Amino acid sequence: MAVAAARAVQTPFSIGRFVVFAVLAFAVIFYGAPLLWLFAAGTRSQDSLYTAGPYAVGNWSSFIQTWTNLTTYNNFQMVRWALNSVIYTVGGVGLALITVVPAGYVLALYDFRGRKLVLIITLIAMITPSSATVLPIFLELNVLGLTNTYAGLILASAFFPFGVYLSYIFFSSSMPASIMDAGQIDGCNRFQQFLYIGLPLAGPLLALVAFFAFLANWSNYFLAFVLLSDDKLFNLPVGMTAMISGSGALSNTPSPIPIKIPECILACIFVVLPVLVIFLISQRFVRAGLLSGAEKG
Amino acid sequence: MTAAEIAGGASQAARRPAASKKRRRSVLVSYLFLLPYLLLLLMFGVLPVFYAFGLSFFDTIGGVFWWFTNYQSALADFRLSASVINVLTYVVIWVAVTVIGVVALSLMLDSIGRRSATALRTVFFLPGAITSSAIVVLWLFMLDPLVSPFQPIYHLLGWTSRQNVVGGLGFAGIFALMGYFAGSGGWIVVFGGSLASVPSELNEAAKIDGANRWQMAMLIKLPMIWRSVGLMAILSFAGGLQIFVEPQLMQLGGIQFSRTDWSVNQLAFLYAFSQGDFGISAALSTMLLTASIAIALVIIFATKFYKID
Repeated sequence: MAVAAARAVQTPFSIGRFVVFAVLAFAVIFYGAPLLWLFAAGTRSQDSLYTAGPYAVGNWSSFIQTWTNLTTYNNFQMVRWALNSVIYTVGGVGLALITVVPAGYVLALYDFRGRKLVLIITLIAMITPSSATVLPIFLELNVLGLTNTYAGLILASAFFPFGVYLSYIFFSSSMPASIMDAGQIDGCNRFQQFLYIGLPLAGPLLALVAFFAFLANWSNYFLAFVLLSDDKLFNLPVGMTAMISGSGALSNTPSPIPIKIPECILACIFVVLPVLVIFLISQRFVRAGLLSGAEKG
Repeated sequence: MTAAEIAGGASQAARRPAASKKRRRSVLVSYLFLLPYLLLLLMFGVLPVFYAFGLSFFDTIGGVFWWFTNYQSALADFRLSASVINVLTYVVIWVAVTVIGVVALSLMLDSIGRRSATALRTVFFLPGAITSSAIVVLWLFMLDPLVSPFQPIYHLLGWTSRQNVVGGLGFAGIFALMGYFAGSGGWIVVFGGSLASVPSELNEAAKIDGANRWQMAMLIKLPMIWRSVGLMAILSFAGGLQIFVEPQLMQLGGIQFSRTDWSVNQLAFLYAFSQGDFGISAALSTMLLTASIAIALVIIFATKFYKID
């Protein structure tokens, strides 16, 4: 009797359960397969890609061949672009950290004339998609003669309103007024309060801001594409697409240069891998950040 | 000392300048802390917007002020209405797919074991690492039945070449797919957090009242995340309007996929870079920016999603 009752309750559940697992399994394939394919394909030869089925794995020698073709392409141009990407990213992230954290700090803890205005403009800039201001920024930097310079792209990508908002939320929720008061009584001035009380507590915040700034900078395509026309200054994403476009590899256009599909895939991995590694390392930070960025308020 | 007291102090100091030298100095320090960011904000947030706005009223080739002529030229361009329709189609598909997909997957993940749900969220989240240019390159392969892991599906539909697939899904559909692939995982993580915070007594009570899995999801959990779903839809909509990279890079797949005037932002880019007409480009940018800023103002002041005081 009891068993029958339990079964009666469970029957509709199991259909629902089946649907849930079927949908989730399909989702795993949809999200997971392209990534797995990308990394496997980086090791395969051009022939294998077309003949051996989508999930085949390549071998070491074809990977080395692809690696050599890609890195030596056009006198090690890929290496140069990778180096440029590192310069833009380190510059952009560093400058973002320096500007964003103190700004969020004073916006959260002190009141002064214009505070609310700065906060509102920051939010508008944060919500407005960055691609909306790319052309206006180009028009402005063009007048200032800062297109095609490291400084132009670094400065433009160091402007990071989301980081200010993250810092603002962090300091206003995790810096109790009592600590600041204690600091003041001990004779700290505001610089000292920031240096000795604010910053030491802000480790997680720095990691979070650095993560999001890294993400925005490393894979920055639109702004870099518009600001840079000198191929010596390209970052990795712009260089990669210029190379693929020039080789005609993805459109199956015959070309004498050794950039074929495996080389394009490996270039794509160069762009993606650092972000992926950092994603995996800093998952917990990122989750916390996504939550506070999207939910607080 | 609370923020309000400092505020009171600051305004008092402003009224009686001699009253507190120390306080004035601390206000000055606040501005010093803010200064580096303010410079960047001015240079890359505020000035470009006003500069583009101003430029949009000038004949930038002849250098004369001519009111709305740039706007008239832009609106008279037959490509503009086509690109607006393209972009709106894409945004509607993308937002719909995102809302349905993210909500469905979030609710389902919430109903299975915690550890497997966390593992699956990681899988869904990882494609977020693939952004802009890389995503187009990757998806040009994903859309090619000759190499794609989704090959069986394409064969089922009778699609044998990339052109079949692109034709079958449509450009708007493909960009929506790319956007969903990379962007949805982050939201699934966010909703995972908010669903986990639904008080367990509420779930217990519903279970005792005889609610089944479906009713619990629809009547208890969904209302808890409705507001965040709204935010996701608005932010996706605002981002989608500005689409540039995806249509711009489709040409990597060959001339038959090249769409250099597919979106409004591309059109603005074309005017600036192919025709050297910065005025019309600025007019188009201003129109796009107006839409984005209007949306931002609605989010800030009407929905109060973000804390501003």
